[in-house]
Amino acid sequence: MLETYKGKYFHPRTQFITIDETGKVIESDNLLFPLKKGDEISSISPFFEGLASYFDLQEDNDIKFTCIHLENKKEYTCDIEFKTFANGQPTLIIIHDFSDHYQYYQEVAQSRNESVINSQILELKNKYLKEKEDFKNTFIANFSHELRNPLTGVTAFCSVLQKTQMSTEQQDYVEVIKSSADHLKNMIGDILEMSKIEVGKLSIDEELFDFHKLIEMLEFTYSVKAKQKDIEFEVDFDQKIPTYFEGDKTRIKQIFENLLENAFKFTATGKVILSISENQRRARKVNLNISVKDTGIGISPKKIDLIFNSFTQLNNAQKYSGTGLGLSIVKGLVELMDGKITVESEENVGSEFKVNMNFKYPINQENTCLEEKSAMEHNNFLSKEKYNILLAEDSELAQMAVLKILAQEGHFFLDIISNGEDVIESVIHNEYDLILMDIRMPGTHGDELTKMIRSLPVQNCKTIPILALTANLYDDDKKRYKKMGMNDIIEKPFDETTLLNKIYKYLK
Amino acid sequence: MKTSKKIILLGHFGVGKSSLIRQFVENSFTTDYKVTIGVHILKKDVNIAPDETVSLIIWDLEGYDDIKKTRASYLLGTHGFIYVFDVTRPATFENLEDDITYLTNQYAGTPLKVVGNKIDLLPKDYLKENATDFSVAPDFFTSAKTGDKVDALFTTLAKELAK
Repeated sequence: MLETYKGKYFHPRTQFITIDETGKVIESDNLLFPLKKGDEISSISPFFEGLASYFDLQEDNDIKFTCIHLENKKEYTCDIEFKTFANGQPTLIIIHDFSDHYQYYQEVAQSRNESVINSQILELKNKYLKEKEDFKNTFIANFSHELRNPLTGVTAFCSVLQKTQMSTEQQDYVEVIKSSADHLKNMIGDILEMSKIEVGKLSIDEELFDFHKLIEMLEFTYSVKAKQKDIEFEVDFDQKIPTYFEGDKTRIKQIFENLLENAFKFTATGKVILSISENQRRARKVNLNISVKDTGIGISPKKIDLIFNSFTQLNNAQKYSGTGLGLSIVKGLVELMDGKITVESEENVGSEFKVNMNFKYPINQENTCLEEKSAMEHNNFLSKEKYNILLAEDSELAQMAVLKILAQEGHFFLDIISNGEDVIESVIHNEYDLILMDIRMPGTHGDELTKMIRSLPVQNCKTIPILALTANLYDDDKKRYKKMGMNDIIEKPFDETTLLNKIYKYLK
Repeated sequence: MKTSKKIILLGHFGVGKSSLIRQFVENSFTTDYKVTIGVHILKKDVNIAPDETVSLIIWDLEGYDDIKKTRASYLLGTHGFIYVFDVTRPATFENLEDDITYLTNQYAGTPLKVVGNKIDLLPKDYLKENATDFSVAPDFFTSAKTGDKVDALFTTLAKELAK
């Protein structure tokens, strides 16, 4: 029976061939490839061409070649044995057809290789995109830095100009220049802010602040704005919310302002409602639902997914100005603070932006007080008639701006040095009460100079207040300035109040 | 006069070894990638002089990420090597220097051509500006797709083998 089964089901897939020393067929069982006596073995495939020259045919050899593709009308994938004999017997070639087995192996290899290649290509694409993104962000950072210097001149000199004798018409002109400069400053700030968020260089500070006061301030500011636009503004604020929060006041304020600015911009009639309600409290954290609802132009369902993209303004008509960064900054900041933002909108009816965020608050709200002093209050504490201030700054515009602002105060002698290398000598030979230090200066940079000053064996050098004047505002930069020994930072472009506030604070 | 020479194409998988051979032997190209397992052997006669022909027996080997894994039996009696990498995939030329050193040590005196393939996928001046990307200066930059420098590669090697 076994023999019957074998006869029925056993299909031998192995061919035996003997050849002479010139590669001509002597015998073949022709199971796979039809060969006649005297045929060239290489007529099956070029694989056999010159094969005999690889070995000494007069010795015993047994060489195996695996997975060889042979084509002869039909394609076979075979293992081939090549045997030579020292006793002069003819060379034996055994061809095993493993096509089915290798077909399966080919499919596995195909899938594996394709997957590896695709992942390598994806990795390269990501690398390329990242490089492109980094280039864009570095460009934006440098570009906004370069814009800030001339803007300092405009802003600071507007303040100075406003204090001179001018006609009402001239005062109006200065007001226009100042407001345009402020607008430009805000836009540059937005672009820089967005680039910081995108490269993950924006960190969230934690300071104690009065949340109720912040909402009152927003209510006041936007009520005035609503009157000017002839629309209504309502604030629905849950007074049970803790007064004091620990968080980044500037960023939180920015979230509210950007959402409200957006609502006001697109609402011509009707109202804007700001609602803040407490959701729950747990472990010194209060969860708030914040909503800014308007009766503005709304967003079409097709475009709603684009609303938080950078540089996106859904209304392309030039009617609404702006960089299109406000909402993407809000989203970036909310997510940085582990919050969530969503939007619901209906075209020509209005939009509602909803933010859900946790805020940390001190348990003892009663005994919390904040120390806030204005520049003028600091002014009252001055102990000397005149103070020596060193300004290390290479921009002539910034030099003139600081000189004009300080000259008006009448409390200061000002030394100006434009080159980083001369700063150290001047510090050694003069007793300064405060140093204003530009960062990007020719010669040595301001942060390096600060480190050198702090290590000088001269009295006061370790304690003299050194304030950075800079447009490099990445958190990494700020940390570095502090590490180098700088006391504080005055951001460019600065105005009169900001500059004097900081100077008086450190002269107290 | 006609002589037969066995040459082997080596390199990582997916670098275009089979496509180079298909372009050289059949003047055709397909974007469909079919993984080679084991070895395919093709043959083409190359006229290197009016009365001199070299019959190239071209062994198209399965791609390996480590050249040392190549089956020893395949390499028996090889007259020349072509080492191919993909200029767009750094993984295929990361070990270029080591692989070439290995081959030149193991098969001293056997002609070897180093080839950067798929140049059609790169911007025009990329190779000039990024020549230092490759630890070994390639002998040829080819495109199996357009056929650029493919004939030149095989003919140059054939001439060298005939010497």
